[in-house]
Amino acid sequence: MPVTDVHQHLWPESLLRLLAARPRAPRLRRHADGWELELAGEAPERFDTRAHDPVRRAKLATRDGLERVLVAPSAPLGIEGLPAHEAQPLLDAFHQGVLELGAPFAPWGSVALAAAEPRAVDALLDLGAAGLCLPGAALAGPQQLDRVGPVLERLAQRGAPLFVHPGPAPSTDARLPSWWPPSTSYVAEMQAAWLAWAAWGRTAHPQLKVVWAMLAGCAPLQHERLRARSGPANAIHDDRSWYDVSSYGPHAVDAMLRVVGVDRLVLGSDRPVADPPALASLGEAVIHAIARVNPAAVLAR
Amino acid sequence: MSHDLTQPELEQLVRELAAEPERWRHLVQHRPDERTYAELHRDEHVAIWLICWMNDHDTGYHDHDLSAGAVAVTKGAVREERLVLGGAPAARTAKAGEAFTFGPADIHRVSHVGTEPAVTIHAYSPPLWRMGAYEVLATGELRRWSLSYAEELRPIGA
Repeated sequence: MPVTDVHQHLWPESLLRLLAARPRAPRLRRHADGWELELAGEAPERFDTRAHDPVRRAKLATRDGLERVLVAPSAPLGIEGLPAHEAQPLLDAFHQGVLELGAPFAPWGSVALAAAEPRAVDALLDLGAAGLCLPGAALAGPQQLDRVGPVLERLAQRGAPLFVHPGPAPSTDARLPSWWPPSTSYVAEMQAAWLAWAAWGRTAHPQLKVVWAMLAGCAPLQHERLRARSGPANAIHDDRSWYDVSSYGPHAVDAMLRVVGVDRLVLGSDRPVADPPALASLGEAVIHAIARVNPAAVLAR
Repeated sequence: MSHDLTQPELEQLVRELAAEPERWRHLVQHRPDERTYAELHRDEHVAIWLICWMNDHDTGYHDHDLSAGAVAVTKGAVREERLVLGGAPAARTAKAGEAFTFGPADIHRVSHVGTEPAVTIHAYSPPLWRMGAYEVLATGELRRWSLSYAEELRPIGA
């Protein structure tokens, strides 16, 4: 059971080149003093290509004691939502680039939502993807779940997990700082996706294993309020859902541990966006469970 | 469950489960080096575990922070000892068919006794979260280590 980080981002060289060549967002633009990332809903941000240097990242993985690193597509870029002919070359560059890096890295697969079909899932898994990553908004209601239903069905048939990650922020005021979307729309999107899964998704896909990034925006911690409003609060005991701890620390993780139990948590760091969470205070047995035992259960086919 | 359970309710629960081996028999697995664990049920108010013991496996002294608990022995025997300062522990042995309970304030240790491997069913309400593990130094000084329940029920070997 290798020590596994289920949530990092790494943009291979080929993806960086394609993003730099795009005429509109999402794209990279060169400035006098470096690169800037332009996203549709967020203020342009400085972009440090060194954060995606695979040699440096492999060293960091070793330093962090990681033996397996699952690399997720950066869903906030909004690539999955582009017209399929724009999205596919970017996604192909991502998958191929991460696969070429080899161990400890392996990609989560990603599909252009406009053309999401079961055979795309087969192709990704056959290529070596750990599972499929979808933006939360693609699951955040009954209609959305119907739309991706056939894709999820195939994923479940193959015994591979779904990774739910925040997607692009809605267009906002350019004056808002970079911490705004991760603390507002990303959290709300993950909570909506988790609630939709509780209400409709799980019934439709009883066997599908689901990994929620960023503790699903701490949605399970809202279970008392959900029950008070007659919602599906028993979803906190769904034993085919796991929550990655990325961007949270001992307070939120401890609270989640209390609600969903230690078997439901997995290590995710969100590198290079965030550093691995400092969880030593939770004890060795918790670390062992979330870094080794639980990821092995997620990835067993 | 719709509420946190009292000690008598917990005892009734573990006794009922002990009488339904078809619900847990397939999870029984003994390991010479350590106890094995399986979670049988978890909800907002109660968590139920199956624990398999042999070779004098011993939990050491511990508390359960906010949770009360009950243990039903379905096979073999375990010994429960309550910590007594300056004296021998208050001990009792529970054999197959017997059960005992404890409250959040109790400090105890449970160990396997006898030659036959033991199987016990444990219910905790509210579900275990933090625990205290007690170390008695040679000087008689008592130390408490705060642990998550994973140290007890999902130890590193599990």
